[in-house]
Formats: sequence, C-alpha cells, structure tokens
Amino acid sequence: MAKRRSASGMWHTFRTNRVAQVGTAVILIAAAVILLVRLFSPYGPTGNDYMNILRPPSLSHPFGTDSFGRDVLTRVVYGAQVSLLISFAGLLLGGLIGTVIGMVSGFWGGVLDAVTMRFIDLLYSFPTYVLALCLMLLLGYGSRSVSLAIALIYVPNFARLARSMTEAIRAENYVTAARLMGQSPPRILLREILPNIAAPLLVQFSAGLGFGIIMEAGLSFVGLGVQPPTPSLGVMMADGKDYFQRGPWVLTLTGLSVAWIILGLNLLGDGLRDALDPQLRRRMS
Amino acid sequence: MKILLYLAVKVASSFAMLVIGAAVVFLLLHAIPGDAAIAALGEQASPSAIAAFRAEHHLNDPLFVQFWAWASAALTGDLGQSISLAGGFSTASLIAGSLPNTLFIGVYALALAVAISLLAGSVAAARHGRIEDVLATSGAIVTISMPDFWLGYVLVLIFSLGLGWFPAYGFIRPGDSLGGAFHSGFLPALAIAVPMAGIFSRMLRATLLETFRRAYVVSAHAMGFGRFFIFWHYVFRNALIPYVTTIGLQARYLLGGVVVVERVFGVPGIGSLMVDAAFARDYGVVQGCAVVFLLIVIAVNFMVDAVCGLLDPRRAG
Repeated sequence: MAKRRSASGMWHTFRTNRVAQVGTAVILIAAAVILLVRLFSPYGPTGNDYMNILRPPSLSHPFGTDSFGRDVLTRVVYGAQVSLLISFAGLLLGGLIGTVIGMVSGFWGGVLDAVTMRFIDLLYSFPTYVLALCLMLLLGYGSRSVSLAIALIYVPNFARLARSMTEAIRAENYVTAARLMGQSPPRILLREILPNIAAPLLVQFSAGLGFGIIMEAGLSFVGLGVQPPTPSLGVMMADGKDYFQRGPWVLTLTGLSVAWIILGLNLLGDGLRDALDPQLRRRMS
Repeated sequence: MKILLYLAVKVASSFAMLVIGAAVVFLLLHAIPGDAAIAALGEQASPSAIAAFRAEHHLNDPLFVQFWAWASAALTGDLGQSISLAGGFSTASLIAGSLPNTLFIGVYALALAVAISLLAGSVAAARHGRIEDVLATSGAIVTISMPDFWLGYVLVLIFSLGLGWFPAYGFIRPGDSLGGAFHSGFLPALAIAVPMAGIFSRMLRATLLETFRRAYVVSAHAMGFGRFFIFWHYVFRNALIPYVTTIGLQARYLLGGVVVVERVFGVPGIGSLMVDAAFARDYGVVQGCAVVFLLIVIAVNFMVDAVCGLLDPRRAG
C-alpha cells in the first residue's frame, strides 16, 4: 500500500474534480432552498388552509398545495430534514456495526471469519424491503424502526468492504511492525488499519445516504414506515399518490426534490471516491 | 468435471443458506409481541378455546420443534393457512398465484436493464471522453438518483395519462395473455429497470475502460487486429464477468424495488401479497413470502456463480 496521501492533496483533487463541483453546487442549491424556506416561508409544515386546497404551482406556492391546503415546498423542506436524519442515523449505525464486524473478521480470519461472513452473505440475500418489512413488524412502524431497517440493510455492505480491505493490508509492514512492538489488536485496528481503509467506507457512506432516503421514502410510501403527521418525504409522496390524477404536482415535485438531493449526494460520493482513491481514479479516467 | 463439483458445492451451500435464512425469518416473526392464538380467535375468546388453539397449532412446543414442523411441511409445499386474506386460503396457493407475476415483472425489468446498459455502457466506453460518454455517464447518475416507485408515477403521468399508450393501473397475467402482460407490465418493468440500468452501465463502462488498457489488448492492437475483433474477442468477454457479478449483487435491490413498484401499478405479485399480509398481521403469509424472496435471490446468485464459472473456468478449478 502506498503511503497515505496528505489531506491537502485530497482536498485539492476533490476541489478540482468536476463531478465534485457539480455535486457541491447541487447540494448548495438544496441547502439554500432549505434555508430560504425556513427563514422566509409564511407557511408551516402542518397548518391546514381549506381555502387553498390542491392549488397548482404558482408564485405564492412554488410547488402548489396539497389536499389540506398546505404549502408543498415548505413540507418538502421539513420532510427532507426528517428523511435525511433517518437515513443518516441508519447509515451511521449500520456503518459502525458493519465496519467492526468486517475489520475483526478480516484481521483474525479463520473459522470466525468464515462463519461471520456466511451470516453476512445471508443478510445480503434478503431483498431490501423484505428485510425492512419483517423488522417493521417486529419493532412497530415509525422513524426509529426505519433507521434500524436501513442500518440492518447496510451492515453487510460495510462488513464486506471493511473485511476485504482489512484482509488486504493486515500483512503490510506497518501492521506487522505495530504487532511486533506489542500493540494490542484493538489499538492496531483503530490506529493502523482503520485510517487506511476509511476512504472507501466514506464513499460507501455517502452513496448509502442517498439510498437510505429512497428506502425511507419507499417504506413510508407503502405505509409501513414513518407515519403521518410526521412530514417525511415518503409520507408526503404516499399522500400525493391518493390524489395523483387531480394534483399530480404533489407527488411529482416531492419526488423530484428527493431525486435532486440524492443526485447531489451521489455526485459528491463520486467526487469523494476520485479524491480519496487515486488508483481507482486513474483506472476510471 | 471440475465445474460439476463446483456447482454441487454451490448447490449445497445455497441450500444451507436457505434453511438458516428461513430459521432467522421464523425466529424474527415469532419474536413479535402478541399471542397468535388471541390474534386468531379475538380478544373475547375463552381460555379453554385459546388452550385448544394453542394445542392444535403446537404453539406450546419449543420454537425449534415448531420450526422443524414448519420447515418439513414447507419442503412438501405446505406453508400453512392464511389467517386473514380472503379467509383461509393456503399460503402456498396465494404465493403460487402471485409469484409468476413477480417473476415476469422481475425478468422483464432485468432484460430491459441489461439491454439499456449494454448499449449505454459500451457506447460510453468506446467514445470515452466524448459527448456520447458525457451523456451516458450523466444519464446514468441521474437515473440512479431517482426512487423507482416515483419514476413509476412519472411514467404513468407521461405515457398513460398524457399519451395514453399504456394502462396506468392493473396487470394482465402472463397466463391470460402474454401480449397483454408485456404491454401492461412495460411501465412497472421500466420503472425498475431504469435505475438498475444506470448502475449496470456505470459498472460496464468502468470495466471496459480498465480492460482496454490491459497489456493483451494493447498487444492485440499492435498485431493489427481490427477494432471490432479486439472489442468482441479480447475486451468484451473479460469485462462481462464483473458485469454479471454486479447483476447478482443487485438482485436484492431489484426484488426490493419490485415490492414497492407492484403497489404503484397494482400488480398482484408476491410483493403486494407480502405488504397486504403485513398490514393484516398475517405472519404465516409474510413468512412464506420472505422465504420465497430469499429463495429467488439465492437462486439468482447461484446462476451468477454458474455463469461466471462458465465464462472463466479458472474460478471453478
């Protein structure tokens, strides 16, 4: 393994990478809209206005209004925060558990590794929503369960990645040196191995963040996730489908906002991958 | 011979995985708080009726005995009775009625995704850095970012409500009319296929570009072979292995997408069945569906392993 690259070098690659630039722009626009709406929107996410039911997009309601007369843009902004938080919490938990399992498994190898990874394979063999649905039945619907479902879905991704990377570098000289110096395995894992495998894990995290939002939206859309009146993006899209023919803008524009945020996250993830993993970058371009 | 041994080992490990997976689902769903007897008989049931129900359904046995009974019955095709859906249908018959629809949509979507991605990925790699590449690459990342069920509604808005080419809702079973199934299944399949195609074509492009740089490809150029000859014989076949592997890895997302998209288009598939059963707290049906889904993913991964073994005999050796 080549020596670790300096943080400023990575930052330079990331900053001059066109994909990362577009991604940053996309995310900044989303952040600006969120900020502007939170500061200046005269509407709340929950107050009903029966005089303005299902109005198409206009100047006073850029995304129109829903069946309760609520401003869709305002609700999208609040919903995006809820959905992002759910996805982030899920990814963080799944990433932590998966990384620990993968690193331990890859570092020690042997029977422990074989058994653990078969279990990870099994977890990976359940279709995403099937796993989530069983968990929802066990834990009850709601934001916390959705986060846990996302975590469970992402444990195998992180475990596999962390395991293969750890296995690849566990025989490197600096790891052997640390071992010979008498460092304890937890310390070696934390100080020597983790910093060297962090980059791909971070890329996986940013890509997963977008998919977590899709998971939340899908589960809540079916009615098995976040429950109204919590304004998550999935709940709003589920609501919009009920009057899709009369007011298609509710579902369409909410989904478009979801796609916009996820596009930004995906672009940032790609840029991050290029900056953190120069080998991959050279191979790809 | 080696490949047969390789496949035999794969079959055995796949089966073991299915059994353990079924056990996990079984335990998970049995850990749900609440008494199955009270759920089936209602809150007002007399204690003696509950005791009789528990005895009849072996609810007092240890869990592993219950699982053994369920699993051995499942192997003979008996997945128990539905407690809620349309009163007392067997789970197996419910699944048998809906599984073909799901498989049809799934294979349809996979075929569309493969067709789109083979074209987009190859063009992007062959025209690397040009406008075609930029278009295909940007298109791929945009499509990956779209939730498939939302894409379903957008397709309905354009092709059903706008142009009127396809039905907005409902699905004609392939058993009733194959043409009707292809027509009514097109939008759901496309909604699943488009994000999938984005992932596939990114993968194909990356591997193709990597293979272009390999020494044996460069030397083939030096020997004066034609570009298409090299692409077909030297590059494409080698790039196919990671591509096929990616398809296997995406099986869980593909089938996950099917569950939600079936609801959007009213396809009476196993995903819809599972969601309905979840709402009705009909755990027997949920369990049967989950195990069938697991079986499909394991089967897909087995096929991917087999295809990769055939494409690259070294793997099987």
